[in-house]
Amino acid sequence: MNDNPDFSALRRRLLLALGALPAAGRAAPAAPSRQPVVVLTSYNDEVFSRFEAAFEKAWPQYRLQLVWRMPHDALPTLRQPRQSGIDVYWSASPRNFASLAAEGAWQALAIDRDGLPGHVGRARLADAEGYYAATEMAGYGFIVNPAELARLGLAVPQDWSELAAPAWSGRIALPDPGRVGFAPVMVDIVLQAYGWERGWAVWSAIAGNAGSVMEAGSTFVTDEVASGRCPLGLSIDFFSAAAIANGAPLRFAYPAHSGINPAHIAICRDAPNPDGARAFADFVLSAAGQRLITHRDIRKLPVRPAVYRELPADYFDPFRAAERGVFDYDGDATRDRLGLVAALFAQTLTREHGELAGLWRRVHRAEAAGRDVGAVRRQLEAPPLSAAEAADPALLAPFRDRREAATAPAANALEAQWQQASRARRGDIARRLDRMGA
Amino acid sequence: MRALCLIFALFCLSTANARADDAAALREAYLQPLPGLDDAGRERFFRGRSLFRQSWVIAPADDKAAGLGPLYNRLACISCHQKNGRGRAPDGPDERMLSMLVRLSVPGRAADGGPKPHPAYGGQLNEEGVPGVPGEGRAALSWIELPAVTLAGGEKVAQRRPQVEFVDLAYGDLHGSLHSLRVGQPVYGLGLLEAVPAATLLRLAREAKPDGVRGRVNRVRDVATGRDVVGRFGFKANMPNLRQQIAGAFVGDLGITSPLFPSENCTAAQAACRVAPSAAHPELPAADLDAIEFYLAHVAPPPQRDADAPQVRDGAALFERIGCTACHRPELRTGPAPRFPLTAGRHIAPYTDLLLHDLGPGLADGRPDYRAGPRQWRTPPLWGIGLVPRINEHSQYLHDGRARNLQEAVVWHDGEAAAARRRYVELAPEARRALLAFLESL
Ligand code: HEC
Ligand code: HEC
Repeated sequence: MNDNPDFSALRRRLLLALGALPAAGRAAPAAPSRQPVVVLTSYNDEVFSRFEAAFEKAWPQYRLQLVWRMPHDALPTLRQPRQSGIDVYWSASPRNFASLAAEGAWQALAIDRDGLPGHVGRARLADAEGYYAATEMAGYGFIVNPAELARLGLAVPQDWSELAAPAWSGRIALPDPGRVGFAPVMVDIVLQAYGWERGWAVWSAIAGNAGSVMEAGSTFVTDEVASGRCPLGLSIDFFSAAAIANGAPLRFAYPAHSGINPAHIAICRDAPNPDGARAFADFVLSAAGQRLITHRDIRKLPVRPAVYRELPADYFDPFRAAERGVFDYDGDATRDRLGLVAALFAQTLTREHGELAGLWRRVHRAEAAGRDVGAVRRQLEAPPLSAAEAADPALLAPFRDRREAATAPAANALEAQWQQASRARRGDIARRLDRMGA
Repeated sequence: MRALCLIFALFCLSTANARADDAAALREAYLQPLPGLDDAGRERFFRGRSLFRQSWVIAPADDKAAGLGPLYNRLACISCHQKNGRGRAPDGPDERMLSMLVRLSVPGRAADGGPKPHPAYGGQLNEEGVPGVPGEGRAALSWIELPAVTLAGGEKVAQRRPQVEFVDLAYGDLHGSLHSLRVGQPVYGLGLLEAVPAATLLRLAREAKPDGVRGRVNRVRDVATGRDVVGRFGFKANMPNLRQQIAGAFVGDLGITSPLFPSENCTAAQAACRVAPSAAHPELPAADLDAIEFYLAHVAPPPQRDADAPQVRDGAALFERIGCTACHRPELRTGPAPRFPLTAGRHIAPYTDLLLHDLGPGLADGRPDYRAGPRQWRTPPLWGIGLVPRINEHSQYLHDGRARNLQEAVVWHDGEAAAARRRYVELAPEARRALLAFLESL
């Protein structure tokens, strides 16, 4: 096919790049072989195909080969002999990266981090040992339906505590932290922001105001809000970002206390093509790669601050927001308690949710009528455990390990206790309200 | 189920926006269901949509979506049909075919009358293989610029044609084989096209037409019944119905077996492929095939925009006057459709006759497909074509993406369309602009 055999492939490409060769009627040069770079990922086609096209253009010596696995199925793949021939793992599952790092699954990432901060607020954007790095982030906050809010005369809240007000009764879509993967961190953000006591008080009231408790997260919270069933939902930005960019009449609002959910990239210890792997990781973190994730069908938050300068003014910039303290949440500090707080929340606030919501409505009504129900309110707001109890390592352990183990009898027994205690407490509150005629 | 209804609500909202001509919402215009689906219908629609979008996983895996490969092109249906729209060709040999494929065969006919698959590569080049199974190789596409065509008034229209070179071939050379380059086709409005009665197509084929336009139905094997029936789908009307087209894509593009095509796509020459594990037998259960079929049968074609603008009306009249409608039929009527009643008895404006036409040597792929000759192509529907740049973020047209805008596509017409093309070239510039404005309104 080649009509010019004495040209070396490289030289031909150079000439082509310089625009010297596209002669009419002449066959273009042969394409050289490419070395595969095998990427294990759970990104959808929308994201990945853009990276395939752009990376291979930038690095014509490599060919991306994609192995798709759900996060739960990625762990066994990387634990196979020779890590199943995978070069790179790229996914939004922080726990997988941490567990695999502990098993020695990665080699040093060793890429140029110039222009890539190590933190946004207090959230780390790379692990301390240099094995993996965040490639994009998603932020926690409120997905709102502005038309519905306007109809109800509600303003977009600035922070979580505003959602405790009676005006929000029945108007919030709440993902159940016992079932929805992103929700435990959300619970913890509020507990860190307001402190243990006030944090649980705010959560009790928000849960009392929930109109829908969602058993599936992802886009379902967004759908609940888009449908108008609830004018506001607690969520992560990217579940609604693409819908909004493509015309859905919704808005995402970041509270004064938010947190991020990062995706990471790492190079496998046994990577067959470490140079190709590094080239890919480098590309994902480069300005060009970071721009790709801002496409309106994707709309994730880049980890390279310079990229935000080229984006429309309404594109949320987490680095700027962090200067206002929006990302002061320190995930590392309380990582160990996530399982515990999620379980506490689920047992005491979302299980038998109708009863909790009913009690809160009665309290709001009584207060509106000028009655003093302060003692009852305090009982509703009180944390299910004290801060000291919840910090007990013996209590934390069964919940921390729950994800790894198939069964967690100790955790289940504790949950059963909390459920009972919470039922008893609600019964007590109901009787007190009855006695007051409220 | 409730969740699915809620997703539908999101859809309704974006449709409402499209009506308000919200530019952003138009990007979702190829994704809307036909109006009138009930709750159960919507649930099936969204289930099919998830399957169409989902990335498939190599077996063995702890995942329902397992079964990709042993040989395949891409991980998902949506990879080549982005936003339910059309694929694009690479810009040059360094870029891979991300939403395009190459059909292969050797001269002669297979037992069913279709193209004879290549003995080592089969009917399509599968660039990818699962671990341990070498991908078949790579099709490197280069573009050859041709002399520009001058239109009345002096405007020049560039023309390019593709040239493919096969590299990294893993199963021997491809000398003497026939190949056909094809970009992913749009996948909306297909249930309506399926509901056009075969008798209508036969009548259209028989009808006398101006300008030497002929038109022929393809006859292809329906694997479910073993009978030869009218072909409708694919660039050469080489597939009889939506279900077989979908099952064919599953096995041919993703390497996923189904009740219609229960064997993996390995040839006798592909030893590693033949022993690679399958996720199940078949990998795609009938219920999932049903769901995707239901989904694609109910994706609506986007409504025309700006139909009343004077320029668009002039363009529509010209489209008829210069002979484009001899093939791009502005109106068809669907017949009974017991399986998908929403598609029955409708007047539709697809701008196709679903017939095969000789479009001349320039566009010919030289690869016959059942009764479709080496120079014949099915008239493609033009509905929704004006939204391609907005939705697919490119403006490539024709079966191999060679046209870089609508005008280049028109100027490539030849053969039975030579008279219409000549009239287009001779139109005054304002008249050409009106005709293009009409195409853009579709
Ligand atoms: C590698 C790219 C690629 C992938 C992946 C792909 N398709 Fe296609 N699709 C095409 C091409 C190319 C055509 C035209 C085929 C032809 O002319 O024979 C097509 C045609 C179709 C058509 C017919 C459209 C028409 O107007 O006639 C349907 C329906 C379809 N594909 C569905 C699917 C489904 C379902 C999947 C997933 C199982 C899928 N495709 C995966 C490239 C692809
Ligand atoms: C003889 C039948 C015939 C006539 C007459 C005809 N076309 Fe076509 N048209 C076709 C066929 C067949 C193709 C597909 C060719 C291919 O893909 O290689 C096509 C493709 C197109 C496309 C690109 C569609 C796509 O999806 O990529 C456009 C636009 C188009 N025609 C417009 C016109 C216009 C405008 C006229 C009148 C000047 C016209 N056609 C006349 C048969 C016809």
